[in-house]
Amino acid sequence: MTTTQETRWIGVSAPRREDAPLIRGRGRYIADIEPAGTVHMAILRSPYAHARINGIDTAAAEALDGVHCVLTAADLEGIGDFPTIWRLPGQKESNTPALAPGKARYVGEPVAAVVADSRYMAEDALDLLDVDYEILDHVVDVEAALADGAPVINEDLGDNTIIEYTFPGINALGVAGDIEGAFEEADEIVSGRFKVGRYSGVALETRGLVADWDDLRQTLTLHSGSQVASLLRTELAAALGIPETSVRILTPNIGGAFGNQWDRYPEDILVSLASMKLGRPVKWIEDRREALQATVHGREQLQEWQLAASSDGTVLGLKGRVLSDQGAHLHSVGIGPAWVTGAAAVNQYKIANYHCDVVGVATNKTPNSTFRGFGGPEAMFGIERMMDKTARRLGIDPAELRRRNMIQADEFPYFSPGGAVYDSGNYPAALAKALEAVEYDKVREEQQSLRDQGVYRGIGIASYIHVSGFGPSAILGILDYYTGGYEGSTVKIDPHGRATLYTGMIPMGQGTETTLAQVAADHLEIDIANVRVVWGDTDQTPYTGFGSAGSRSNVAAVAVIKAIEQIKAKAVRIGAGLLEADPDDVAYADGRISVKGAEEMRSLTLADVAQQAYWAHKIPEGDQPTLEATYVYDPANFTTACGTHVAVVDVDIDTGKIDWVKYVVVDDAGTIINPLLVEGQIHGALSNGLGGAMLEEFVYDEETGQLLSSTLMDYLVPSFTDLPDFEIHHLVTPSPHTEGGFKGMGEAGCFPAAPALANAVADALSHLGVEVDQTPVTPSRLWSLIDQAGG
Amino acid sequence: MKPAAFDYSAPESIAEALDLLAEHGSGAKVLAGGQSLVPMLNFRLARPAHLIDVNGVDSLSYISANGTLRIGSMTRLTALGESGDVAGAHPIIPKAVAHIGHRAIRNRGTIGGSLAHNDPAAELPAVLMALDAEVTARSADGERVVGMQDLIEDRLFETTLGDTELLTEIRIPAAAASSTSGFQEFARRHGDFALAGVAAVITTDGSTITQAALGAFGGTHATRLPTAEAALLGAETGDAAFAAAGAGAAADFPATSDVHGTAEYRSHLINVLTVRALKEAAGNSGGGNG
Repeated sequence: MTTTQETRWIGVSAPRREDAPLIRGRGRYIADIEPAGTVHMAILRSPYAHARINGIDTAAAEALDGVHCVLTAADLEGIGDFPTIWRLPGQKESNTPALAPGKARYVGEPVAAVVADSRYMAEDALDLLDVDYEILDHVVDVEAALADGAPVINEDLGDNTIIEYTFPGINALGVAGDIEGAFEEADEIVSGRFKVGRYSGVALETRGLVADWDDLRQTLTLHSGSQVASLLRTELAAALGIPETSVRILTPNIGGAFGNQWDRYPEDILVSLASMKLGRPVKWIEDRREALQATVHGREQLQEWQLAASSDGTVLGLKGRVLSDQGAHLHSVGIGPAWVTGAAAVNQYKIANYHCDVVGVATNKTPNSTFRGFGGPEAMFGIERMMDKTARRLGIDPAELRRRNMIQADEFPYFSPGGAVYDSGNYPAALAKALEAVEYDKVREEQQSLRDQGVYRGIGIASYIHVSGFGPSAILGILDYYTGGYEGSTVKIDPHGRATLYTGMIPMGQGTETTLAQVAADHLEIDIANVRVVWGDTDQTPYTGFGSAGSRSNVAAVAVIKAIEQIKAKAVRIGAGLLEADPDDVAYADGRISVKGAEEMRSLTLADVAQQAYWAHKIPEGDQPTLEATYVYDPANFTTACGTHVAVVDVDIDTGKIDWVKYVVVDDAGTIINPLLVEGQIHGALSNGLGGAMLEEFVYDEETGQLLSSTLMDYLVPSFTDLPDFEIHHLVTPSPHTEGGFKGMGEAGCFPAAPALANAVADALSHLGVEVDQTPVTPSRLWSLIDQAGG
Repeated sequence: MKPAAFDYSAPESIAEALDLLAEHGSGAKVLAGGQSLVPMLNFRLARPAHLIDVNGVDSLSYISANGTLRIGSMTRLTALGESGDVAGAHPIIPKAVAHIGHRAIRNRGTIGGSLAHNDPAAELPAVLMALDAEVTARSADGERVVGMQDLIEDRLFETTLGDTELLTEIRIPAAAASSTSGFQEFARRHGDFALAGVAAVITTDGSTITQAALGAFGGTHATRLPTAEAALLGAETGDAAFAAAGAGAAADFPATSDVHGTAEYRSHLINVLTVRALKEAAGNSGGGNG
């Protein structure tokens, strides 16, 4: 037997194979791509929140030396836009147009585009475009947008209500709970009103595109950082009215995507169209101001919750109304994130009676769409704040209140009244582990004596579920989600026995290349160095229904495993012929094909068999030459990652400053493929979550509708010095729903971050009765709460 | 975010730079470290016809300590912060410099650039006001010496420098032997522009405060805090005087609201920071949040 280290790769902290070229400056990003003859696009964006466009005089811009073309909405006749993928029943559709047609609806909306020899010249030309704007009243607040007489963002839709969707709280028996009864029966009814702030991915690399139309071959090559190249290819071809076979999407390295790059954008159409008009490559690199104005935003919700509890702490019912600030247009996923909020808000708790209304509201703001967490962190903020408020009201320790209401380990699969089926987990164990790690009882004890010394220490607990591995396509169909939930993988063994794996996943920082190589090496039982991963080219890689996301490796990994199962079975058939044995007596192990019981004597390497497969001199009947397989895996069900975070902070009541004392993470994402990468993902997602909890916010001016956080001096991204040391522990409850037991984990870190922080701060200031119900918790906001409470 | 077209000159001597300024006047902008001007160019908020890059004028980069501290206007912030002469004469300066942006910014940014740009949230204008510094402004017609107060004069993002003048030197008088200083600022992240900040320099004759100079930043413009200073002059050092100064600072401070905080919060902050800076100056800062 060979040593296990050489052939077992799942669970190994393999270093990221992506890193060496990236760290040593050999990454290749969109900005690095510039085919000969490239010209550059700049985009004129609306300076107004809401304005009719009565005309655009392009003459001066077109006359400027070096300008190749100017595009306005008038040039888009016959060109489509991108559909909303998630079309919930009753959702009024308002696709994002490539250029504002007659009316601009948010600051930063594309109004016209110029292509010139250089970006400098293109921006000079933007200065010369004369737009006749007629400024209209605007609205940048959801409640104001719903009020009578509010300016209507999309007249075609009648008003600003995009959808009112009700979660009636259907239980496992298929009937709705008795929400009114629960509230009548309650000893206490606790209310909360939460403002979850608007923020987004704000990747280090802004978006960028290079479109290259070859008029002789009638092909369009688009270099793009999209997370979901196959879907972009399908939709782009449709929008441009060209065959999908003419479109090739190439994805280079990506400097951060965070869900924002899941969406399709106006610029995808604009650069392609310009390249087709000019017959030469057209490049657009989003600048930072554009990135803040025009890459989708995320999160923003106004939530109102009521929780019915008995005096012993049993949560009898939960009802809520979630107003989701969708911005001016529905983007690729419609109100999807807010729907997920409604689906996930019962979290880890057995809440028999649940009711939630989710309202999508149009405002004069940047579209709110896909962003890491996708509605989950918003849900966690509401429910975890509600649990702490309830604990405070009932005089029960917040950890104890959670424990009393958690779904137990033997109650899976659990049919949540939010509509999801939770596959597995051990919520009380994760909570217990987190409390132990943080030394909960000791910190609670110290809290009082510190307070006497003027040190205001708080402990914040937040538990979470993350429904990941979006999957069965049939379920997506029931949800009116118009794409599949599958991932495909092609694995080819070359004549020397090495593997090349083709995936539709896009490595965007989460280490996909490394983890998929690990899965392949593990199942082929060969050295990881003998696995190459090919991605980022729609001409080569499998169609992906759902696209790359932080929590998709679990689905893609199964596709790899299934393809390799086919390869191993074929290798056994070919090998049996060569070994002159019955295939039933031959097995694949340790990267060899051997006669069972005679492994020392009658055994072939994978390379031996692969060589034979390519010579094809002795292929068993019914098999084809070569050694490759494709498998498209459609998940059997969702997987549910879970865990508990505990934050410990000190609050300076004079300034509202929050200092970190400790941050403990216990997560359970099932079987871990690579512990090192999991740790990195938790760090990243937590930084993302805590960023939104403390620093990051898109602030709009009520008066003018302007986006005030339009530079990185105003929109603050956390750096190391703003974050705590993360202490990470794992539980492993393999998912029964996926081969390998993997669950998605790339997003989970950001789920409980904001409520953990807010609960900790509220706990630190419990003597003042301060409640922290808005994110981000800025020093100014916090001091104002302290000041109002008389602190 | 690309700048509009401009002409560019890179003089190698002060005289050459002054000639260019005389020639181009209000159409010209002087490029020092570029940490503020270049972003403004890229945003097209500044659209000079001519950029005069003085990074090649070596004679503008020096630190000379001989009684009065003389600092060439092109002295990089890193050099300023690391200078033993500066730290020896005015320890408040390196303390303040540590809060300016990040290392990469300080490696390029210059003392003269910071003063001429006069960002109301910048540290150096307020610190140099508290230190009673002066600057020399030269033009082809000659040289004049301007006090910090007169240079800034309640302005933001501009100074009283003329179109043809170049800020060449910063002069800081020697500190009184018994003076001490404190520097406090509050920013949402380290290195960000401050929401509020204060530089405090006090002199005592043992227990009574004989001189007090407080410079504040983070409001609508850099300013001295006269009410706070008056509350300190002649008072015994200690909590009572410091609290009175804090309240005075809040009254003096030209607070304003933005995405980072309300004016009310900033007025409160300047009070808290003033007390902390004075405690620091008095050397009785003891643990906790002090």
